[in-house]
Amino acid sequence: MDDKKSAVLVCTCGKQLQLDYDFLDTQVKSLNLTSSATVHDSVCQDDGLEKISELLKASDGHLVIAACTNQKIQPRIDQYLASKGVDSSQIQYTNIREHSAWVHNDMTEASKKSLDMIRGTLARSAKSSKRTLEQKEIATHVTVIGGGIAGIESALSLSNLGYDVSLLEISEELGGHVKSLPVVAPTGKSGKEILSGRLEALQNDKNIVTMMKTKVKFITGEMGDFTVHYSSEDDMEKTLQTSAVVLATGYKEFKPISMEEYLYGKNPDVLTQFELSNMLSEGDLVRPSDGKPVNNVVMVQCVGSRDENYKKDCSKLCCTFAIDNSLEILKRNPDAQVTIVYMDIRVPFENEMIYKESREKGVDYIRGRVSMTWKQDGNTRVRIYDSLLDKYFETPVDLLVLSSAILPPDGTSELSETLGYALEDDGHVKELYGKLRRNETRRRGVVAVGGVTRPQFVFEAVTDAQAGTLIIHNELQGGKIETTSRGAVLDVEECVGCSLCAQQCPRGVPLMIEQTETEEADEEQKIVFKAAIDTLNCHACGVCQSLCPSGATQLNFLSNDQLWDQIAASLEDAGPDYPITLCFYCEECSVSTIDIVGTRKMEYPASTRLIPVPCAGRVSIIDILKAFEHGASTVMIASCETDRCHIGGTGNEIAQVQVDVARDILNAIGWDGNRVDMFRMFSAEPDRFTNAVNEMVKRANNLGPTPVHKGTAGKWMEVTE
Amino acid sequence: MSNPVLVIGAGVAGMTAAVELADSGIKAILVERKETVGGNALDLYKAFPTDDCFYCFEGNRWRPGIRKCFYRSALIDQPNITLKMNSEIDEISGAPGQFKVKLTKGPEYIHPRKCTMCGLCLEKSKAFHLLSPQCQPQAVVFNPEKTDDGAKQAEEECPTKAINLNAQPVEETIQVSDIIIATGYHELQPINVDEYKYGKYPNIITQLELAKIIDPNSDSGGVLVRPSDGKPAKRVMMVQCVGSRDENYYPYCSKICCIFALKHASILTQERDDVRVSVVYMDIRTYERYERYYRRSRESGVEFLRGRVSLVQPREDDTLDITVYDSLLNKYLKFTVDLFVLSSALEPPEGMDKLIETLGIKSASGFVAAADPASEDEVVIGDHIYACGTALGPAEVPESVTQARAVVSKILQSRK
Repeated sequence: MDDKKSAVLVCTCGKQLQLDYDFLDTQVKSLNLTSSATVHDSVCQDDGLEKISELLKASDGHLVIAACTNQKIQPRIDQYLASKGVDSSQIQYTNIREHSAWVHNDMTEASKKSLDMIRGTLARSAKSSKRTLEQKEIATHVTVIGGGIAGIESALSLSNLGYDVSLLEISEELGGHVKSLPVVAPTGKSGKEILSGRLEALQNDKNIVTMMKTKVKFITGEMGDFTVHYSSEDDMEKTLQTSAVVLATGYKEFKPISMEEYLYGKNPDVLTQFELSNMLSEGDLVRPSDGKPVNNVVMVQCVGSRDENYKKDCSKLCCTFAIDNSLEILKRNPDAQVTIVYMDIRVPFENEMIYKESREKGVDYIRGRVSMTWKQDGNTRVRIYDSLLDKYFETPVDLLVLSSAILPPDGTSELSETLGYALEDDGHVKELYGKLRRNETRRRGVVAVGGVTRPQFVFEAVTDAQAGTLIIHNELQGGKIETTSRGAVLDVEECVGCSLCAQQCPRGVPLMIEQTETEEADEEQKIVFKAAIDTLNCHACGVCQSLCPSGATQLNFLSNDQLWDQIAASLEDAGPDYPITLCFYCEECSVSTIDIVGTRKMEYPASTRLIPVPCAGRVSIIDILKAFEHGASTVMIASCETDRCHIGGTGNEIAQVQVDVARDILNAIGWDGNRVDMFRMFSAEPDRFTNAVNEMVKRANNLGPTPVHKGTAGKWMEVTE
Repeated sequence: MSNPVLVIGAGVAGMTAAVELADSGIKAILVERKETVGGNALDLYKAFPTDDCFYCFEGNRWRPGIRKCFYRSALIDQPNITLKMNSEIDEISGAPGQFKVKLTKGPEYIHPRKCTMCGLCLEKSKAFHLLSPQCQPQAVVFNPEKTDDGAKQAEEECPTKAINLNAQPVEETIQVSDIIIATGYHELQPINVDEYKYGKYPNIITQLELAKIIDPNSDSGGVLVRPSDGKPAKRVMMVQCVGSRDENYYPYCSKICCIFALKHASILTQERDDVRVSVVYMDIRTYERYERYYRRSRESGVEFLRGRVSLVQPREDDTLDITVYDSLLNKYLKFTVDLFVLSSALEPPEGMDKLIETLGIKSASGFVAAADPASEDEVVIGDHIYACGTALGPAEVPESVTQARAVVSKILQSRK
């Protein structure tokens, strides 16, 4: 593509920025890629917005805005231009306020840096292309896996929003665990009462097809076009087409057979808390072994939870379940003695009041552990250690109830192999981002709600299902998806079928498609599988681009050429006497950190040049080496914190690999690998950036110029260990 | 239906509800009492469960991305969102579906869209200041009590004419179809809990106050210091359930204080120099994966004492002598500490009782409660009235966000 000239708009922030604007104006005007240069006092205000509109029209959309952080002004500019019907997709921004004027005391240095960054941005702008709004129609069908409370609620609310739903349940009855709960805190209603209205609504809902005894085997495809392979009652494998998947497979209660101290599985009077719920729901309260009445009950908390040998974490619900069931036992048999053996009683918010009620009604709480269970004269006996009294004692029990850990349901891991969501260490479905994106999974179009994500109370599962519905609705947009085509584009001709993109995409967007109609005469040369990327599903991080060995996949707003040209143009000042640190920063946590450093006016050296990338994972080894080729003394990549990458959690890990390899290459060619490094940051700790940048500038000064600096080439060899 | 939705409170829950509504093409009027959005989160530095910033909320169609800082949330520049700062709801009348809401918008001394934070006024007068680099709207705030000549000069010289020192409050009445209550929580100021002597000695603080001290954006740069003299604090004692699980104050469990305290204990022992922490508790309640904070705290040497604090005595050097009854050892133990941190109860914010009464909705211990608890639909609290976040009772950030989405999901379904 030919290089296009761009208009440049430089903002003075109300004449408050300490930059040499005469110098900038003159210098920018003299640049090859500049079509016009304008210095303006307030780009973000009404007259500034008008000026932007005017310049865009004059320069065919190619405009560089050098002002404060685009994180603040871009939304306003985009909205203004959209209201005027002017395309804003090609505007390129560079931040001369927070990233330059506000952090460097020396005006000459700051002006020089600003000019370099404008020059670099002009180079990126020269090859920019227009992004357009695209439409795509998809089926308004969603598959909900699991017919417990979360699945039922999901199906009903999706149907309310106009989607057709297939609700697949593996057992022969809907209602999951909830249907067996005799009483649910804090309302005291039974699980059946909570479900009844919903089950009725389900029956009357024509948009929902419920399929019982249906097991999902595997799922292929992508958002908008998944194929669910399942087997139903007749054991035949069938398929259905769907646009999105809701995982609502609930949880599994741990069966503590291997814990010898409780005799679970060997003594019928030892049961789990959920087995007790079932028993109470069915109306019985007798010893399973001999049908005798139940008077003495001991419950043990944290069986398999908070236990390094089983589940490390707390199962959250068991304390409340135990108290609910204790109260129910006392209702049936007011003379019963219920003892709860615990480590910490964990009852959130108003459940504390039910805990208190249970104490008042005579439930006995012992802080400690049950150390042994045995049978004596037809009765079950347990030995309890009381940690408050530091004493052991023995007692006969009619029922020993184990509040067993809550585990992910069977099949969660198997299904992830084809459906591509990630798992937590504990086997539950991993959320996209723990603080804000709980129901989304790593895979686009797959939402997880209810117990499959973590132990949840009934009301939490209902809320989860509602939230999951909104996420699906946001993704599917009622079947008519309209979105800007901004993301990775794959040139199939160039694809070598290596599948790196499909393996490493943080959101599972690229698919490997069998090439049935290739015309290669030579079987050896034939590529059997090639990638396919739906740009409208893409999250635009650029991980696939940095990994692609053939340049087949590239972001349509930041091609390899665009970034390489920007690197070269930003580094024009680099020389043996002026070592430059080039910083690639992600436009997620890193840009925030660097902006906040600016807002707080925390100073750092001006021998730094900053280049934005959508995600640190966009930066390839080649990009890093290009920076050295054009004279950078050190290169740093600023990324989000470990395991906190915005885009599916892995972009920054890919970046780390690129940096590690680049370091090895530098060492191998006789440079010092310390010239490149990666730093993780978030804006609550702005000194993470200043510490990083100071370190890299220090290294640049210590290590001196590189062999490619003008004047040093051929005369210099770095000594490395 | 094109009627807008009123969102009361611009903390994480309210902001999420507003942007999700806006994305779905529904107009949201987001009303906030304070000068910046963000609620309690703005002061909290590191958030659980992710241990990164608190001032972070979701990206949306207009600001794509998984999450964004408050400062870049563009709330004043998004279609379908009207942000009303410094505003109080005076009266709500009318029928569900067509509520009439009378509100007073505080004086707009600084025009939020015009202010560029260029810094001119900050140099002219102490009456102007920046609340936080993460504030939203991104604008300075003006304190009329400190008006001086410099302020008047700034008003004249402000490059974008963003300052109006004579601004007056404005009353207005709006009509909305639905109301979302996202008023958040307030941390109990335990002045009345006599045994802890809060408010009497500067080195007795709450967890929120501790969060502000260890924030790298604080005056101390994040170093743990004693409020009494700004000198480094080395020995810290935290006490749980202050005003919670207590019949004299709030009978409920405030749910997040254990996690909150242990998050702080971990930061202090692992990321600050040479700080020792003891935690006095009744039950440690780190639900589900938050158990990690308990494990991490124990591994990093935090001392856990099951029992109660029975006596707090100040010493001349501003340290505190604290006597703890240890229920496991059945003994009284004595400690000398630099800082005594109270994990104080979460209580409903001011005005919640009035709101509950006006709207005729149910209450759970002073917070708002589901209209039909048996439905387990926690976010639906009345006819065309919804709630999310800590307005519903103590909640973590992820729960608040999920609830906000559930509310928007419900509203969309009701309009289908």
